[in-house]
Amino acid sequence: MIIMVVSLGFILINSLDLQYIAYFRFQEEHYFQEVQTNLSELQEPLEKYLTDRSSVALARLLFLIETIREKVPPTRPISSDETYLMKREIYFLIDAYLSQVNQIIEMKRGRKVIEYIDSYNELRRLYAHISTEINQVSLHGFRVQLAEYRNFLGLFRRIQYQNLILIIVATAFAYTLLMQMVNRITKPMQQLSNMASQLSNGNFALPDLHFSSVNEVNQVASAFNHMKSSIHHYISELKKQKKMEQQIMKGRVQNLRMEQLLKRMELYTMQAQMNPHFLFNTLNTGVQLAIVEDADRTADFMENLASLFRHNIRGKKFFVPLGHEIEGLRSYYAILQIRFPKNLKLVLDIDETLLDGYNCPAMILQPLVENSVLHAFNHTEKVGTITVRVHLEDPVLVISVADDGVGIMQEVVNELLTPHTHDYQLGPKVMGLENVIQRCYFFYPDQKDVIDIRSAPGKGTEVIIRIHTEVEPCIEL
Amino acid sequence: MERLLRLATPLLGVIVLVLLFFSLRLMVTNRFSVSAQENAVDTKSFQYAFFLPGSDNAFFDGLKQGAFEAAKEMDCAVIFHSLTSGSLSFEMASYSGANGVAVFSYGNDGTMVSNLEKILKKGVPVVQIENEIVSSPSSVLIGTNSYDSAKGIAKIALSSEKPRFNIALIYSEKNPALLQDSNLFEIGIKSVLGDRLSRLYTEQTTFNPIDAEGVIYELLRRFPSVDIIALTDTNDTLVAIQAIIDLNLVGKVQIIGFGDDETIEEYVDKGVVLGSIVRNPFEIGYRAVAALKEINTNGNTSAYVNTPISLLTGKTTAPSRENDSP
Repeated sequence: MIIMVVSLGFILINSLDLQYIAYFRFQEEHYFQEVQTNLSELQEPLEKYLTDRSSVALARLLFLIETIREKVPPTRPISSDETYLMKREIYFLIDAYLSQVNQIIEMKRGRKVIEYIDSYNELRRLYAHISTEINQVSLHGFRVQLAEYRNFLGLFRRIQYQNLILIIVATAFAYTLLMQMVNRITKPMQQLSNMASQLSNGNFALPDLHFSSVNEVNQVASAFNHMKSSIHHYISELKKQKKMEQQIMKGRVQNLRMEQLLKRMELYTMQAQMNPHFLFNTLNTGVQLAIVEDADRTADFMENLASLFRHNIRGKKFFVPLGHEIEGLRSYYAILQIRFPKNLKLVLDIDETLLDGYNCPAMILQPLVENSVLHAFNHTEKVGTITVRVHLEDPVLVISVADDGVGIMQEVVNELLTPHTHDYQLGPKVMGLENVIQRCYFFYPDQKDVIDIRSAPGKGTEVIIRIHTEVEPCIEL
Repeated sequence: MERLLRLATPLLGVIVLVLLFFSLRLMVTNRFSVSAQENAVDTKSFQYAFFLPGSDNAFFDGLKQGAFEAAKEMDCAVIFHSLTSGSLSFEMASYSGANGVAVFSYGNDGTMVSNLEKILKKGVPVVQIENEIVSSPSSVLIGTNSYDSAKGIAKIALSSEKPRFNIALIYSEKNPALLQDSNLFEIGIKSVLGDRLSRLYTEQTTFNPIDAEGVIYELLRRFPSVDIIALTDTNDTLVAIQAIIDLNLVGKVQIIGFGDDETIEEYVDKGVVLGSIVRNPFEIGYRAVAALKEINTNGNTSAYVNTPISLLTGKTTAPSRENDSP
């Protein structure tokens, strides 16, 4: 912009120069024309004065003399310029002319007739010469002016070409500069746009933008980088919270299912208790009847049966003292000995010192023994032996129920030892071995060896429960 | 594209600055600028007016060049006026403010003399070139000695190896100095040729640049014995050469010319012209300004300044001209 202004100013100055030269020339021409006119005007009053001594003519004459004298420059330095020298000569000639006019006036006053007539003739010749010289100066000046004008036009044309080139180059320069400035703005904006697009797709792992642009764009980029980091941080936090909420929800669902399972187990227990109460009362009635009728063996049987039921309808507890569990087992033994007096042998190998000091899940021994009675000796004629052992492998309380029956196939063992998931649907028959196994897993979820079955077809079966006495079960006792 | 822009911007910027610099310099330093015009007037100490005949030839061109050169060296300014009939320049020279006047006067008429006396009366220093028409303590004569010029013509005539000479001497109003000193001039010729000069005819041409042709025709018709024609003006010499060629007298009539015009030199080389008397107009112009300057500064100078002549002959080609100055 500055360059354009300078260029145009340059052209303007040269144009003014051209005008100045023309004005200067014409001014000089005009000046000499004026002087020539004044000299011409001077002739009439001079002749009139010389003819009739008119005071009006004299006044006019003196006025014109002063007028012309004022127009002639007082200082006339010498120059080598021919035109200037010609003008200088004219100034001196005019001086001489005016002096001679004054002399003639004095001569006229002094009535020196011959002298002023001769001087007047000389004056006329001088006037003619001045006119000729002025015409020559004009002609010479005109010729010089033409030559100068031609030279000036050449110079002006050169200047115009030079300025044209200057303007073209300046325009190209301004264009490139503008494009650079535009690029400095648009390129960062494009980068910002790309980054915004990436961010909108959820890609926050982008490096920060760093570029050198105008201050406003730099500030936008800085704010953009800050915004990207903030959004990234907030989204990460949200994800963490969501994950935590999901985990909490999962835990809640698990708890709900456990509660549901417990309630169902409790229900089953209550259902199981309903009949024993009724049977217990009935059995007591039967015991009294047997005593009245002197049937002692029946009375013992029914008393043991009643004792078993009493044991089964215990308080609502998941864990019971080991002695209580063994007591129930003994009642069940008495009944079994009456039921199977010849082909079933029951062996109790129990460390009596452990009975009062340790707890175990309620109702685990009787179902295991019952399971052996029901399934271990099918299709066999031999006397079956069921051995119950309780001993301490400090700190593990080991309870095992073994039989020498037909054994269980390994696939069945594996199936039985598989812990049920939360969504496992309990069947109507949940009592027995499976019940005991799943309850052990439930109480000790972190102890995979809490229960084990060692069995092989024809070699009997041993169910071993290992209760870590220092580990609390996962449910309140 | 971006790289191109990055390279183009500083490059174009530099070009713009360079162009701008040259433009500004041109604007400030060109001779039409206001500042240049303000400084255009170079003040000189003295102004001298030269009054020369209106004829335009190499002699006066050389004289002007000499005067210009001297003015430049001596801090003076010179202006040239034409001594044409009807011009009042010379008559009014005393009013023109000139510090000195140099005049190549011709024609010994009363007007020229009275005008010159009028200038001298005004106390303006005067240099008379070649021809002294007014003797004054305030006047200096600068020019070629007529006697020397005559001896130069005689020496050139001797180079023709003729036993005797019938010479026609053509004076001219264009060279009034020799015309005025005709007696001295003829004595100079006779002093060199002695008895070998059979006859010396004299004729005269006017200011008419071509009237020499008629004079030559008439001369040869009346005096067929003429074998050498000596001229005292350059134009007359050129016209005479053409006349001799037209009359088919080349070799029979030989020409002794005046001046060192290029055509004269050519005919000297061809043998049509026996030789030529060459004055030094540059020296004359130069010494005229120097004399005026000396009068202005010291109040006086030598009353007579002789400028040497040289001889242009066929044997001595232009670069080795014979200097015949005393």
